[in-house]
Amino acid sequence: MRRRESAKTWKLADVGAFFKNSFSAILKGEFLLRLNVGRYFIHIVYTFVLLAVTIWISLMIDTTMAKVEKNKKELEELSIQNSQKTFDVVKLTKRSSVEEMLGTMGSKVKEAEKPATRLEK
Amino acid sequence: MDLRKDNGKKRDRIGVVLYLAYLVMLLASVLVIGKIAGIQLFWRQNDSIVKVLTPPVTRNVIDPARGNIIDSEGRLLAMTCPIYQFYMDCTVRKGQPEKDELEWLSQARALSAELAKVFPEKTADQYYKLIRDSRAAGKKYVKIGRPVDRNLYNRIIRFPLFEKQKYYSGMIVEREYIRKYPYGTLARRTIGFVRNNKSSEVTNNHVGIEGKFDHELHGKNGIEYFRKTDQGRIRDNDSLYVKAEDGNDLRITINIDYQEIADRALREQIEGRVDIMGATVCLMEVSTGAIRAMVNLTHNEKTGAFEETQNMVVGRKIEPGSVFKTVTLMSVLNDGYVKSLEETFPATNGHVSGTDINDQHIPDFARQHNTDKISMLDGFKISSNYVFAKLAIDNYAKKQRQFIDNIYSYKLGEAFDFDLDGLPVPTVPNKKENGMKLNDLGRLGFGYMSEETPLHILTYYNAIANKGKMMKPYLVEDIEKGGVVLKKRGPAVLNAAICSRAVADTLNRALLAVAEEGTAKWSLMGVKCSVAGKTGTSFGTFPGGGYSDANGQRKYQSTFVGYFPAEDPQYTIISTLYSYPKPHSSEVQGGGIPAKTVKSVINALYNIDPYFQPVLAKSK
Repeated sequence: MRRRESAKTWKLADVGAFFKNSFSAILKGEFLLRLNVGRYFIHIVYTFVLLAVTIWISLMIDTTMAKVEKNKKELEELSIQNSQKTFDVVKLTKRSSVEEMLGTMGSKVKEAEKPATRLEK
Repeated sequence: MDLRKDNGKKRDRIGVVLYLAYLVMLLASVLVIGKIAGIQLFWRQNDSIVKVLTPPVTRNVIDPARGNIIDSEGRLLAMTCPIYQFYMDCTVRKGQPEKDELEWLSQARALSAELAKVFPEKTADQYYKLIRDSRAAGKKYVKIGRPVDRNLYNRIIRFPLFEKQKYYSGMIVEREYIRKYPYGTLARRTIGFVRNNKSSEVTNNHVGIEGKFDHELHGKNGIEYFRKTDQGRIRDNDSLYVKAEDGNDLRITINIDYQEIADRALREQIEGRVDIMGATVCLMEVSTGAIRAMVNLTHNEKTGAFEETQNMVVGRKIEPGSVFKTVTLMSVLNDGYVKSLEETFPATNGHVSGTDINDQHIPDFARQHNTDKISMLDGFKISSNYVFAKLAIDNYAKKQRQFIDNIYSYKLGEAFDFDLDGLPVPTVPNKKENGMKLNDLGRLGFGYMSEETPLHILTYYNAIANKGKMMKPYLVEDIEKGGVVLKKRGPAVLNAAICSRAVADTLNRALLAVAEEGTAKWSLMGVKCSVAGKTGTSFGTFPGGGYSDANGQRKYQSTFVGYFPAEDPQYTIISTLYSYPKPHSSEVQGGGIPAKTVKSVINALYNIDPYFQPVLAKSK
């Protein structure tokens, strides 16, 4: 009897029956239950969460990148301010500028008239 | 029983509702799946719609930060800063209610008053008229003032109207990075520039150190792609990103203090004079060949000012005149034709036989000293053409090639590798030729028939100061990034010994005599340390090759070159003056303005250079 059952072969009518059963199961809302998909429910939820997290991280990256761009602009502005200040300060170190400023301030300090004496180290 | 029946009916009703909902969802999912399959299999995209709907990705070339140029003491000589140009869209809020329009115009009037203060080329009324007329004419891009630096930019954006949002004020600002020089015009031609203006008629767009080392200073461009998001424009990480590589810094040998001293010393001598076409000073460190100052002042005929517009130290070769006599003297000393500076020549009429060379100094010397002989040292001191023409002719008339070879071995016949472009090959009589006329050989002996740049002459005298060891002049000390040395350049030897130490000492004695008793005596009087040097004056040539123009006017080229302190040379210095037409004054001779300029430079350096500072020893 068992040998007879295992030797049972599929017929084209079985395919039709399979589709008919599947369709009626879909209409009754039992298709997934019959496939026993409930076993994989946690995996489905996990995949869903994974996709949601990916989208969320992507949005967070966009937000961070937007902040990066904003900070880059601020850094550039600060760098410009710095270079302008550096330029202004360096300009003042010109010997003639120093002499002129000392004169304006009423200082009697002038260019050296003899070499300075160095102390032995 | 009825209750059970009621419950059953109720459950059935819920079941039907749920079933209907399920069917709707099922139908929807079938439609969705069908649509997905349709899209996958049959749908073809419409490019124009894709273009509109796809967030645009824009390509951006990242400009690297150009490297700085710093002097030998680490001070910034060239850096990059932005400048800002203001424009105005005068059509903003046009057509607004009259009350608002009047308010806008009153703010524009207040803005005009402020603009007139910072851009005085127009009055407040003119600025207001410009804005009002442009508004009436619907102009959206009206230029306001001239490019300004960051300090002024910060002030202007706080002006009335401009302080408001751009959609109210119409303010447009364009930023551009330019090269700035904190020390103004000091060493401008040496530092140079890179010109990007391709429409300029001037073809030389790479000048000075900026030009020659542009490949180091510029760095490498980067590339990035941007996409638009709800958060704004951000870099697209899925696209190519190449980081920009900033340019390297250059540390050059120029000491900006010394440069300023030399610049000021030269200006004091030449400013206000219309007969001077240009003048130079160049200071070199004896032991290394490092150029510490290089001043090039050219007379601007329109403004009358002297400006750094042409590098004459490097690029202008002239017949050097009497400073070349040292070459003749070294040659005969090296070849052993002369053993002592006390060897004499007949001092009669100053005529060199077989030539048309006549030297008026000789009869004058004979009369003043009541003698009929002149020593080589005295001939050098008074810069006698007769003595040096005779030296050349007597010793090299039949061995001209030997003399020419000597000149080449002193590197006076070649354009050695230098840190600036434009060093020409000096003109020296053809090396292979041995048939120079005696007249020409004599003239070569005292500084004509050849053309040298001030840099060649300076390098040669520096070798004498360095006891015969000729150092290659250089300007770039090293290439750095963030203070870390990437490539060390530094000193190099051109010729390990152009003469023996004994010959160098003999020449030193002769050059010291020129400074203390000879042609530079009066100008160098009062100099704070001993100087050894030589004066030289020659006539400049005109395009036709003659020494005078159609009106008989002559060009004068005068030089003083020397080193100090003579007993232990630290620096070699040259000053050259180009004047035209020839003024009736000895000021334009080598012993005049050039020597005085050198004296001013030495006296100023003496006070600040560490070498001259006495050391106070520790008490024990």
